[in-house]
Amino acid sequence: MNFADQLAGVLADVRRGMIPAYVYSDPEIFAAERDRLFARSWVFLAHESEIPDRGDYVVRRVLADSFIVARDESGEVRVMFNMCLHRGMQVCRAEMGNASHFRCPYHAWTYRNDGRLAGLPFHGEAYGGEDGFPRQNQSLLPAPSLAVHNGLIFISLDPGAPPLLDYLGDFAFYLDFYTRQSPAGIELRGPQRWRVKANWKIGAENFAGDSYHTPHTHASVVDIGLFREPKASKRKEGALYMAGPGAGTTYKLPPGGDFAAQLRYVGYPDVMIQAMAETWSAEQRALVEESGFMVSAATLFPNLSLVHNWPQIDERGTVAPFISLRQWQPVTATETEVLSWFAVDAAAPEEFKRNSYKAYLMCFGSSGMFEQDDVENWVSITEMAGGSMARRLNLNSRMGLDSAGQPIKPPLAAFAGPGVAYQGFGEFNQRHWLRQWTDHLEREPSAAAPVVDERAVDERAVDERAVDERAVDERVDLGGAR
Amino acid sequence: MTAGHGNPGRPLPYSDPAHQAAHQFLVEEAALLDAADYAGWLGLLCDDIRYLMPVRVTTARGAGFDTLADMAHFDEDLYALRKRVQRLATDHAWTEDPPSRTRHFVTNVRTFRSSAFRSDGAEFLVESAVLLFRSRGDTREADLVSAGRTDVLRETAAGLRLARREILVDEAVLRTQNLAVFL
Repeated sequence: MNFADQLAGVLADVRRGMIPAYVYSDPEIFAAERDRLFARSWVFLAHESEIPDRGDYVVRRVLADSFIVARDESGEVRVMFNMCLHRGMQVCRAEMGNASHFRCPYHAWTYRNDGRLAGLPFHGEAYGGEDGFPRQNQSLLPAPSLAVHNGLIFISLDPGAPPLLDYLGDFAFYLDFYTRQSPAGIELRGPQRWRVKANWKIGAENFAGDSYHTPHTHASVVDIGLFREPKASKRKEGALYMAGPGAGTTYKLPPGGDFAAQLRYVGYPDVMIQAMAETWSAEQRALVEESGFMVSAATLFPNLSLVHNWPQIDERGTVAPFISLRQWQPVTATETEVLSWFAVDAAAPEEFKRNSYKAYLMCFGSSGMFEQDDVENWVSITEMAGGSMARRLNLNSRMGLDSAGQPIKPPLAAFAGPGVAYQGFGEFNQRHWLRQWTDHLEREPSAAAPVVDERAVDERAVDERAVDERAVDERVDLGGAR
Repeated sequence: MTAGHGNPGRPLPYSDPAHQAAHQFLVEEAALLDAADYAGWLGLLCDDIRYLMPVRVTTARGAGFDTLADMAHFDEDLYALRKRVQRLATDHAWTEDPPSRTRHFVTNVRTFRSSAFRSDGAEFLVESAVLLFRSRGDTREADLVSAGRTDVLRETAAGLRLARREILVDEAVLRTQNLAVFL
């Protein structure tokens, strides 16, 4: 069977909730994900708080493509493909820092932190000056599409990507609970980075909606009194919602509490509750107060997940909520780099930030007591998916559907958020994520569209400023210079 | 590699009893960890322990830092470490059941006596290198975690106890599936 026919079969199976197990290990499927999904989709790279000052940068990837995410001298966020225009060297080899310019270590071509070529050695002698090589139109390739929402910096490798807000759609409503608790927004710390021998999809699906795994996989954190919510009797009262390209889980809050009482229950101090009350819309407040749900794990397709939990962090019984963002960065079909950040409202009191950070470290991230057991499962799935027998097994992902494919229960009527929500266990959200996956994989591979830097029209201004050698030497990034 | 303690001066000679006691402490501690005797390990910690493993990052030589100041893999007090040990003792800590086979190789031990920590000289600064070998199951490749450690060991009535540990891991991206282990 050729790959197109094989893929069509896979997509048909996945759409009826039966997942050919080998999609969690197969290199051809992985190549299709690269060419059809990651070549088009909006992908999270960084948060503005990671690059607060002019010249600050971080280096992040979309699969194998390395990008410099920098705040330029005018304060604007730039995302540039980290490959020298001349011979293709990685221009910046540090992962973070502050630099006015990036100088390629190979032949010293030097770029401003907005990507424009500032100078190259012996321009006159080697190239015959502007006639042989016009410098003023040259720039590191910009990300084909770039947009920022709540400080979250996204790019798409597709220059024709839809506007980010159109893409986020109804999920933007839920994103605010994690990333806009006050007008100050969040500050992101980290990331912790580690590699796991697991396919990238498994974590993304899990965070999207697997409330069913929580009581068992995470039984140990209930056993030790770290987090009281995950036991099955509480977990099954939570709602699962699907909205736009995202989906997430919630916990049911105790009955009868008003907005402030519910947020106090999960550990927020009054000053933060006041900010949330003023920052969130009436519908967002109603999700907490009237519907009585508190967001927990979620995934924004394809590979950005979020989590919000409220463990007990000391002997006195202090409950502290934390927020984490994490990216499932595909390395190969069987390996994923996890980037896990701690997020906290930038305006939160210092004591809250300390407690919330402690809560994060105890629960999630590279050492987190929740996370540890998840990864063990996902590594095992990936390993099992690599054999011959896995090609004969379709994994049942139909929880919540009857034999005719109809939901076994109606959607939740009293749910103040947009999208569709169900209470209790079900794999609605994972199927929602997988439907998007099938829709992407069904499209033909993305043609490599040329990237046009609109700033090229600005060339006169650039030319006048170009190649002030003293400026080039100032704060040149040594990660690029050596 | 003195983890914010400044220049601690010259290390004690290897023949110094304080150095020998510190070295033996680290070897005995490694034996407890490799035997998964975590309750015994907790017994080696001071009540005010700080157990810190900052995130290491790739930066330019001139950047002046190669760890994150505000993000760690571990930043633990005794409560947090006790919880981790309690969890491993439950029947539901799947990531370590079946358990990893680990070996902590501890070398490059240098001991410093310094009045910078306690004027009565009852604390020592001890640097060491640790290489953790971690093997899980029967099909996966083993993991290695290499790190330098800067410890503060305190003399107590019960013997030396660990008051502070800062672990400087040698990778920016860890190659082990989690840190359900101690370094």
